[in-house]
Amino acid sequence: MRVAVISDIHSNLEAFEAVLHDCAKEPVSTIINLGDLVGYNASPGECVDLARRHQMISLQGNHDRAAVRPRLAEGFNIFAHQAVLWSASALNPEQKAFLDGLPDTLLLWDRYLLFHGAPDNPEAYIFYLFQAKKAFTHMRKRMPRVQIAFFGHTHHRAVWQRDVRGRVQSLPIPRGLMALDPEEMYLINPGSVGQPRNRHWEASYLIFTTDPPAFEFRSVPYDLRSAQAKIREARLPDYLAERLATGV
Amino acid sequence: MVYAYAKEGKLKDGSRVVLRPMVAEDRERLIAFFQALPREQRLFLRHDVTDAEVIRSWTEQIDYSRVFPLLALAGDRVVGDATLHRIPRGWKRHIGTVRVVVAADYHKKGLGTLLVHEMVELATEFGLEKLWAELPLSAPAALAVFRKAGFSSKAVIEGLVKDLQGRSTDVVIMVCDVGAQYG
Repeated sequence: MRVAVISDIHSNLEAFEAVLHDCAKEPVSTIINLGDLVGYNASPGECVDLARRHQMISLQGNHDRAAVRPRLAEGFNIFAHQAVLWSASALNPEQKAFLDGLPDTLLLWDRYLLFHGAPDNPEAYIFYLFQAKKAFTHMRKRMPRVQIAFFGHTHHRAVWQRDVRGRVQSLPIPRGLMALDPEEMYLINPGSVGQPRNRHWEASYLIFTTDPPAFEFRSVPYDLRSAQAKIREARLPDYLAERLATGV
Repeated sequence: MVYAYAKEGKLKDGSRVVLRPMVAEDRERLIAFFQALPREQRLFLRHDVTDAEVIRSWTEQIDYSRVFPLLALAGDRVVGDATLHRIPRGWKRHIGTVRVVVAADYHKKGLGTLLVHEMVELATEFGLEKLWAELPLSAPAALAVFRKAGFSSKAVIEGLVKDLQGRSTDVVIMVCDVGAQYG
């Protein structure tokens, strides 16, 4: 089974459409969206509608939650705060109801764990070794059958591995297909579709094959200028448009 | 109004301030803010902020890609000024330097904490991995504010800087690992 795993679309319709087009070249059976459909960029409603049309498995991210309950955006920094309030004003009630109904964690096919930030806290990040260790510990205690988890939130591609001896390490980002050892545990982040932060502007996602388990990161160019123009037209902070070009 | 975005912050006494980026039109407000600072607080600032030319140079040469200045306002009055300084290239490109100044009548209200936390949050947006702050060893309240926001003391350098009266001052170097703040 071929599965596309995407995350952090953040209202970037141009990037989202480019990724879906790329997925369609070698059809996938399922698309998994790890959350944060909205926020930051300027096409929140269109992105929600597109996700619904494709019937993808979607999670709720912290920006999705705050777009439905703007009070939650008080803790966001000034850029994210401004953008999520704008998203809230641009979404219709049906689109908000869709976001509101999404789960923040999902056990898929009884084998794969999906979450936005961390397995026990959708707001938390997995950037560092201690955070990855905490996530693996949570998985082992609560879901001992699960070997592979997908997460987002950081906007950085990442592959964390816990080997049979309990050693946790961050693996180098593979250039091509990477086979996963069924004896070991993995936490995999596909990067961000709509606001990648790995110093490269192209939309990031991954293709996962289940049998045998393997995955490949993908980078997809998109109409950057159009996405930037929409941000400026919406009078969102200019920095949000600038950063798309540099992948920050 | 040139600035298009702002955010409210709540202080310990329940009062609210507005946080927004500094714009050129803030020159007079900033001059009033810095001139009202007590002399002993001004002694530890890097620049002579009573000099209107210094403030003019800041407000006329705003470049958010190098320095992101965030003001806290109570009504039309500036009550806090936080800046995040970045070096776009080179081996320190992932490090930002934070400086925060709070009006004397807003000390102990949580404004410093609010501003430092906002700087830590903004660091992720700018792709920064570490934040750096230099504080006088003789300012324990300021050190506590930075510590609460996730900074830790890395070094004390004796007599590193001289205040505006020429007296040597010990400086604490504090660093915040930005990604580790969200575990």
